[in-house]
Amino acid sequence: MTLTTVDQAREPALPSKRGLSRSYARPRRTPLNWVRGGGLAAFLFLLPLLFVFGAFSWYPIVRTAIMAFQHTNLVEAPTWVGFQNFAAVWHDPLFPVAVRNTAYFAFLALIFGYPIPLVAAVLMSEVRKRRGLYSVLAFLPVVIPPVVGVLLWKTFYDASSLGVFNTILHWVGLGPYPWLQSQQWAMPSLVLYSTWANAGATIIIYLAALIGVNPELYEAASVDGAGLLRKVWHITLPQIRGVLLVTLILQIIGTAQVFLEPYLFTDGGPVHSTLTVMLLIYNYAFGNSLGGNYGMATALSLMLAGFLVVFSLVYLRATRSWSTR
Amino acid sequence: MKSIRIAMIVAVAVLLGVVASTAAGSTRSAKKVTISVASLIPGSTPEAIKQFNAQVAEFEKKYPTITVKPVEYQWTAPTFAAKLAAGTLPTVFEVPFTDARTLGDNGQLANLTPYFKKLSYHKKYNKAVLAEGTDAKGQIIALPKGAYAQALHYNRALFKQAGLNPSKPPTTWGQIRKDARIITQKTGKPGYVEMAKNDNTAGWILTTLVYSLGGRMEKGIGTHAKATLNNKYTVQGLKMLKTMRWTDNSMGSNFDLGWSDINQAFAAGQVGMYISGSDVYTNLVQAYNVNPSIYGLTTIPLAKNKTAGVLGGGTLAAVSPKVNNTQLSAAMKWISFFYEQPLVSKKQAIRNAKTLVANKQPVGVPALPLFNHKQYNLANSWIKPYINVPLGHMKPFLNGIFKQKLIPEPEASTQSVYNALNAVVESVLTNQNTNVQQMLQQANAQAQAAIEQGS
Amino acid sequence: MSKPGTGSGLISELDWEKPRIRWGTRTLQALLLVGLVVIGLGPILWLAKSAITPTLDTITHPMALFPHGAAWSNLSQAWNDVHVGRYFWNTVVIAFGSWAAQIIVATTGGFALSVLRPRYAPIIKGLLLATLFVPVIVLLVPLYIEVVHLPIVHKSLIDSYWALWLPYSASAFNVILVTRFFDNLPREIFEAAEIDGAGPLQLFWRIVLPMSKPILGVVSVFAILASWKDFLWPSLVLSNPNRQPLGVRLPAIQLQTSVGVFLAAMFIACLVPIAGFLIFQRSFLGGTGLGGAIKG
Repeated sequence: MTLTTVDQAREPALPSKRGLSRSYARPRRTPLNWVRGGGLAAFLFLLPLLFVFGAFSWYPIVRTAIMAFQHTNLVEAPTWVGFQNFAAVWHDPLFPVAVRNTAYFAFLALIFGYPIPLVAAVLMSEVRKRRGLYSVLAFLPVVIPPVVGVLLWKTFYDASSLGVFNTILHWVGLGPYPWLQSQQWAMPSLVLYSTWANAGATIIIYLAALIGVNPELYEAASVDGAGLLRKVWHITLPQIRGVLLVTLILQIIGTAQVFLEPYLFTDGGPVHSTLTVMLLIYNYAFGNSLGGNYGMATALSLMLAGFLVVFSLVYLRATRSWSTR
Repeated sequence: MKSIRIAMIVAVAVLLGVVASTAAGSTRSAKKVTISVASLIPGSTPEAIKQFNAQVAEFEKKYPTITVKPVEYQWTAPTFAAKLAAGTLPTVFEVPFTDARTLGDNGQLANLTPYFKKLSYHKKYNKAVLAEGTDAKGQIIALPKGAYAQALHYNRALFKQAGLNPSKPPTTWGQIRKDARIITQKTGKPGYVEMAKNDNTAGWILTTLVYSLGGRMEKGIGTHAKATLNNKYTVQGLKMLKTMRWTDNSMGSNFDLGWSDINQAFAAGQVGMYISGSDVYTNLVQAYNVNPSIYGLTTIPLAKNKTAGVLGGGTLAAVSPKVNNTQLSAAMKWISFFYEQPLVSKKQAIRNAKTLVANKQPVGVPALPLFNHKQYNLANSWIKPYINVPLGHMKPFLNGIFKQKLIPEPEASTQSVYNALNAVVESVLTNQNTNVQQMLQQANAQAQAAIEQGS
Repeated sequence: MSKPGTGSGLISELDWEKPRIRWGTRTLQALLLVGLVVIGLGPILWLAKSAITPTLDTITHPMALFPHGAAWSNLSQAWNDVHVGRYFWNTVVIAFGSWAAQIIVATTGGFALSVLRPRYAPIIKGLLLATLFVPVIVLLVPLYIEVVHLPIVHKSLIDSYWALWLPYSASAFNVILVTRFFDNLPREIFEAAEIDGAGPLQLFWRIVLPMSKPILGVVSVFAILASWKDFLWPSLVLSNPNRQPLGVRLPAIQLQTSVGVFLAAMFIACLVPIAGFLIFQRSFLGGTGLGGAIKG
């Protein structure tokens, strides 16, 4: 959802075509004229949008901004506490841990999940027969419901020598590895799953972009005597630069909000080694059986949102000059 | 299909209702009331569900004006917090000993005092147990469902397979360690497994271990309590765990098991010994149909010092504060019928036992007395003919438990204290080079902060 | 799109005639195919195998092929005792409802913003764009509190599917996608229809909607995939187990269900999405789908 941000902003903002002639021919602003001029119709058509966005998007966003400065337990009336919630989050020893872990997840996801699909897509773009089979196989994990995927991989990650992965690795004389049961291995294990689950979609996007590259450019390069790798470097990559940049920021924004994997795989453990910012927000709000700390949860949400907005804007600025040809 | 059948049932019921109300005009005045009640945990066996529905049917027969809607229920911290906030808890729900008083003080549980006073047996309660459901103002806000003492559960088949005598379970922590090592060597299965999940079970079991060695997690009460997580017994216990994990390698390789996980693994024959409440057998049957022949139960070994004791806790039944008086009165009737009377009324005890037996559900699972000792022995004698649990396999526990000193869970900020301990246990089990002292100090600071905030 | 039987043009036909390049590429591609089979298909095949293997065999010999025969009873138990069917149906109802809600909001809103263009349209567009910058997580807590106790009407949406359909339909991404599509429709057609006396409703229903099939396809795939994949929100607002979708129910019962039966339940949960994907693969994999949307 958030991803299109970049994309949208990159394009020239609003199309300047004019509206229907009728709506412009308004002599005087009376209610009757408003109705006759199509104003009522437009409003009625907008009503569903205004209702759902008003109630389920704009209002809660404003509410977050208010709640972050309040102390509330939903039983007693909320009280204003200024920046106390932010200070509490800031001083929570788990806060830097969660930030570090989230950054680590994003970093690993980039290392695993960015180049591998690109290489696969380049190879697939040169498949001359049954390219569809490649695409279907690559995309298959994407359609598996994520909860099923995570629970299935949790079985694979069983740390005993009888685990699925450990059995397979044993055939080639490796392991057993602790997977989710070790502070060093847990996060890479989550990223490995996440890459499996999402790489297919990235491959398909790259593939569409690669196939869209004008073959004449390659021909021209061939005439100049360029080798394969040089063609990839000088033609393919620059040509699909736009898509690469968009998927990059989409991935970073997505991984900054990673929740399902740490929640279902490890619940943040062992020893907070997979505690992410999202999981921390969830724990603030719902982790204590005696009632949630909604103030801290919304404060941390705002901090994360602020970071992502600033990050997106900086990214947009930095890449605007590159991505527009 | 199903909806047609339901529609027919409704139609028939309406017809009958009309006939009944015209026949006996007096019943019309009695108001119909519907309450929802916590039933079984998600995923229970069809037999267990059948048994529960049979109980509901009997209750509704006894109180024709009350309709009971069973709602599956499992207390976990996040689900409870969310449901509490959303107001979607059933009318009658269950909370652990550790939470009831705080919830009551926050006005999140209904006041049961007037109804409680009307119970014919209200003077027979065990004072200590009743105190768990009494708030700061002295109001009764929850009634006990069950109390447990922590116990050691073991797999008799694995004991036999390892050449150990299943009728002579370990009686010291040293023996637990030795037996665990032998089981692992001979059978390849983990000899001793411990809950070490983030959901506070890790802290709960470590506290049990520390109590059994003689330590305590806090001193004093309320927000003035002092956290003492960093005591010498905790260090001793963690060192022992470290040896079993890293030197003996007898604790298996998965260290993220919680309450349900470990029960599941035990029922599947994958665990030599583990610690959990003495009443866990009920869940082993209700959810996994455990084979009774592998099940063994004994007490947790206590160190030979004056402070060593066994951790005890329990569950209470409470009512949502948002109900009206009719519902509250109906809810109390259900609590009395379902939770309390099987322990104080001979007729109800036998009825209850018969229903359980008919549906292959356990009768006679060891639990601690909710009422005075006389009542406890009396109730046990009523159900004696119906007992269907392997009582012989539970002898080591039954013979020893009443000689053990029972110690309640840490009173101030219980869940936060456990929460602080989680990371320490996880670390010892997943990182050989854990600096125990340093981690305990951090945990102690975290627990102290939570106690002072009363969270 | 390049013609079938040729590549993307990266390797020219001339190069392709060279055995070294041809066989080198083919070897790499064969390796890739093997890799994709193992990675993409392997886990699903393992799940299929384990769904009909006795629990004990799966625990002790996860990679062995039916050492003690098959246990078909897993599947029937998953269906009858775990009620996979019911939760599956819930999943479908939720997906369908959120699809319908998103289509209604996106098309009516897009139509008003792009075709009717009231004077305040730019403000609304700006507000929509702004929400794109706000991560969904920010909404979690206030939205939850709001759903628990709806202001003005004082009702709770907990355990109602409206608690999913309505918030899902507030997707600025959809609205903007559709608006931009409508922007590119030839306006001469609208004006001609207007001269023929068509009101906004006819314009919407008879002219604009029939022309927007491609974008509706894209929005549909997104809507269904998103609702299919969501976990956190439904797990918070659907506390009544009879109303929960598979994604919420499976983790709740996992630990109370024997491994074999649980794997069977997961396998059943995978069947329909996989079948749906294979049937409609064009919509998923085609350039107009994911790729097209992201390229904008």
